[in-house]
Amino acid sequence: MFSWFKKKKSAKIAKDRLQIAIMSDRAASDFPFMEELKRDIIEVIKKYKGVSNIEIKKASDKDIEAISIEVVLE
Amino acid sequence: MSKVIAVISGKGGVGKTTTTANIGLGIAMQMKQCVVVDFDIGQRNLDMILGLENRVVYDMIQVMDGEATLEQALIRSKANRNLYFLPASQTKDKSVLDSEKISKMLMELRKKFEYVILDAPAGIESGFEHTIEFADAAIIVVNPEVSSIRDSDRAIGILDSKSQKAKIGHEVEKMLIINRIDPEMVQKGEMLEADDILEILGVELFGMVPEDKGVIDASNQGQPIILNKKSDAGKAYRRIAKRICGIKVPVERPKVKRKGLVGKLKGIFS
Repeated sequence: MFSWFKKKKSAKIAKDRLQIAIMSDRAASDFPFMEELKRDIIEVIKKYKGVSNIEIKKASDKDIEAISIEVVLE
Repeated sequence: MSKVIAVISGKGGVGKTTTTANIGLGIAMQMKQCVVVDFDIGQRNLDMILGLENRVVYDMIQVMDGEATLEQALIRSKANRNLYFLPASQTKDKSVLDSEKISKMLMELRKKFEYVILDAPAGIESGFEHTIEFADAAIIVVNPEVSSIRDSDRAIGILDSKSQKAKIGHEVEKMLIINRIDPEMVQKGEMLEADDILEILGVELFGMVPEDKGVIDASNQGQPIILNKKSDAGKAYRRIAKRICGIKVPVERPKVKRKGLVGKLKGIFS
């Protein structure tokens, strides 16, 4: 009934969408070695167990720069 | 001691040239010798905004190629005698820009002026890269709108990797100006807030300029809005210019205008 009270403000939606879009833009532009890094990690892990998927995400703000790596095993 | 500042945006149409014109005039109003340079080769527009289009004889490219002297090409503003303007070429295209020649010309401008303001072309192609190449600082103009903010982040990325200052390990000073803010929409949650934009871009806030219909009226006449003492956008540009000149003025947030009886009457009679 009061569903319009719960409606997310469009500014908030814009912020969420921008954060994700810019994060991936930055990852693509200043991490050109991403694909190579993926291959190397797969090589290392494959010594112990098979890998079915790997995903590397980069996040940064003005103070820190970080990557998170998710490896899905077979 | 002079400072070269590139005005950049990523996306076009956010008010970059308007900002350049107003800031240049604002710095001149602070009694500083200032030159604004149109780096948008092939799409000259700063001359129109400044109301100097009829006075263009020589352009920046002719100066770089030695076909004209700097003194011949520089145009002195009618609105303020401390302000000079160096036009872009309208006939050539961006490919004529050459790093060595740009460096030499900027060196000459540095000797004459305290502030050298470069109006960058939209986009992040070679023309843009040449504008930021020798800049000490950059003014980044964004609108509170997703495509403008995303594109500005890419422009900032190039600034941080391709400018000479960045290449030798120094950080290029960045000044963010949020242009065309509609305070009413911000209040309703329909427009991004300044704090959110800063968080997303990771740069510091330098100025906020409200949406102001007077800007178009001003550009129609070639009289930048900073000359209009009553205009809110004009006031915002004055504060920004002072801040560039090192005067400490707080960043003022555009406020929602309460329309009282007087305001309504003004609305009828304006």
